[in-house]
Amino acid sequence: MLEIKNLHVVVGGKEILKGLTLSIAAGQVHAIMGPNGSGKSTLSYVLAGRAGYEITQGTITYRGEDLNLLPPEARAAKGVFLAMQYPVEIPGVTTLTFLKTALNAQRRARGESEFDAMSVLKLVRKKAAALKISEDMLKRALNVGFSGGEKKRLEILQLALFEPELAILDETDSGLDIDAMKVVAEGVNALRAPNRAMLVITHYQRLLQFIVPDRIHVLAGGKIVAEGGKELAHELEAKGYEHLAGKAA
Amino acid sequence: MNAVAPWFDVRRAEAAERFRALGLPHRRIEDWKYTDLKAALDGANDVEADTIGWEIAKLPTGVELFDLADLSNAPDWVQAHFGKAATGAMSAASLATARSGFAVRVTKNLAVNEALSVAFTGAGHARGLIVLEEGAALTLCETRTADVGFSNIGIEIVLGANAHLTHIRTAEPAPKAIQVEDVSIRAARDASYRAHLMNCGASLSRLTLRVTLKEAGAEAKISGVSVLGDSLHADVTTEIYHAAGHTQSKQLFKHVVGGKARTVYQGKITVAEGADKSDSRQTAKALVLGERAEADLKPELEIFADDVKCAHGAAVGDLDADSLFYLRARGIPEAEARSLLIRAFLEEAVAEIADEAIRASVWHSVEAALPRAMGTGA
Repeated sequence: MLEIKNLHVVVGGKEILKGLTLSIAAGQVHAIMGPNGSGKSTLSYVLAGRAGYEITQGTITYRGEDLNLLPPEARAAKGVFLAMQYPVEIPGVTTLTFLKTALNAQRRARGESEFDAMSVLKLVRKKAAALKISEDMLKRALNVGFSGGEKKRLEILQLALFEPELAILDETDSGLDIDAMKVVAEGVNALRAPNRAMLVITHYQRLLQFIVPDRIHVLAGGKIVAEGGKELAHELEAKGYEHLAGKAA
Repeated sequence: MNAVAPWFDVRRAEAAERFRALGLPHRRIEDWKYTDLKAALDGANDVEADTIGWEIAKLPTGVELFDLADLSNAPDWVQAHFGKAATGAMSAASLATARSGFAVRVTKNLAVNEALSVAFTGAGHARGLIVLEEGAALTLCETRTADVGFSNIGIEIVLGANAHLTHIRTAEPAPKAIQVEDVSIRAARDASYRAHLMNCGASLSRLTLRVTLKEAGAEAKISGVSVLGDSLHADVTTEIYHAAGHTQSKQLFKHVVGGKARTVYQGKITVAEGADKSDSRQTAKALVLGERAEADLKPELEIFADDVKCAHGAAVGDLDADSLFYLRARGIPEAEARSLLIRAFLEEAVAEIADEAIRASVWHSVEAALPRAMGTGA
C-alpha cells in the first residue's frame, strides 16, 4: 500500500531524512520507533504533505501513485490520515462543524454524495460514544480547552469517521496517562482491517503493548537502522536506542 | 438648531472656538497619524454645513424623542446634557455646525425591550444625545449607509446609575464617503455600556469612542470587527478612562483586511490616580490577506493607580500555518480552509453580541463584506 524508497527530506535547509526506505502492505500495522530528533515527525508531515518539507531524493508511492504530487487535501480524500502529535486549537469552529466540513470535503473530492447535518450527527455520536467523547465536546470549539487526552481521542474519532486506508499515528501516546492510552489503543485496534494499513510512530514501547504491531522499524539519524517483529520493542526498552543506532553506523 | 436658546449658544460658541483652535485633524497629529482627514478633504480648513438625515423608523414604546433641530423649547434633560461633551476637534466641529440631530431618553427604571434603530444618511454634521436615567435599559442599533461625501456625527451617551445600554453600530462599505463619528459615553455607578462596532470602511472612516467610567461598578464591554477590501479605510479609536476604582473595561477587536485596504485600531486606556481595583482588558488582532493591505494596531496604557489589572495584546499576521495545514490534512481544500479560518477569526468578536437576531444580522453584513476582503468577488 505504501512504499517509501531512499527518501531524503530537507527542512529549513537541513537534511532530516537521509535515505529512508520502508514499505507497508494493506492490513498491516507497522511501528516506527526512534529517539527525539531522529526524523519521526518529519516523516509523518512529509506523508501528509505539509509545506516546507522538501523531498530532494527518493519516492513515496501510495497505492501506485506518487504521493508527493498531491496537495494535503487530495491525500486525505484518497485515504491518507495523519493523527497529529499536537492537534491545533481552532476557536470559532465547533468540533461538529469541523467534522462535517472535513467529511463532506473528502466525499465531494471522491465524487460521493455529501451527508446532511443530521446524518453526520448520528454517525459521529455512534463513534464518539466508544471513545468516551461527550456531546459537550462536540459542541465546543475544535480542541479549545480540551485536555491532552481529549485532543488525542478526537484524533482517533476522526480516524474512525474518515475510515482512511493509510493511518499514520504520530506520538499518539504522548501526554496520555495509562487509562487514556487504553481508550485510544482500543479505538485504534477496532479499526484494524484487511484493507487498512497503519503506521504507529512512537518514542516509547509502552503504546505497543496495547497496539501490537506486525513489524517495528527503528529510525535514527534519518534512516531505518533496525527492523524486526514485535519483540524488538522489548529489546529497545532493555538496551536503549544508542545500542541499535551504534550497530547501524 | 437654529432657534435661539441661550444655554446652547454658550456651548456652541465654545465648541466653535475649540474647533478653530484645533483645526481639521491631519496625520502629523499623533492621534490621527493613520487617518489624514485634512488631506482627504483636500486641505479645506472649514467644513461645509450640509444637513445629515437621521431616521428613526419606529420609536419603541418607552423611548422619548426630541428633535434637536429646534432647541427653543428643549426639555430639561436635553438642556442638562446636550453639548457637554465635545472634547475632540471633530466633535467640536459637529456641535458648532450641526443643524440636525436627535435626542432620546429612557426614564428611571424603564427597560425598553424593542431596539431603537437609527440610520444616518447624507453629508454634513449631525448630533445625537442618548440619556438613560437610573436603572433604565436600551438597545441602540445605529447604521451608516453607503452615502457620498463628508459626514461628521457627534453622539453623547449619558448613563445613569445602573443603566444599561447596548450599542450596535454597523457601517456598510462606503467607497465614496468620508465618515467621521465621535461617540462620548459617561457611565455612572454600576452602569454598563456594551458596544459592537461592525465596520466595512469608507474612502476614509474614523470612529472615536470615548468612554468615561465615572463611578465604581461602571463597565464597558466593546467588541468589533472591521472587514475591508479594495481601497477602503477604517479607523476605530477608543479611549477608555477609568476615573474611579472598581471599574471594568473589556475590548475585543478583530480585523480582516485585503486588497489595498487599511485598518486602524488605536486603543488608549487611562486609569486615573486612585482608581484602584480597576480591571481593563484589550485585545486587537488583524489578519492581513494581501501584500498591499495594511493594519495598524496601537494599544496604549496610562496607569496612575497602583492596584489595577491591565492586560492588552495586539497581533497582526496572516492565517496560522498550523491551522491551515491541519484543516487541509483533513481533506478541506485550501480556499475553503482559509475561508473557514477567516470566519472563525471574526466569529469570536461577533459572538460577543448577546442578542441572537442582532448577532445574525451583523454576521450577515460580515458575510457580505468578506468576498471583497478576500479578493474573491464583489
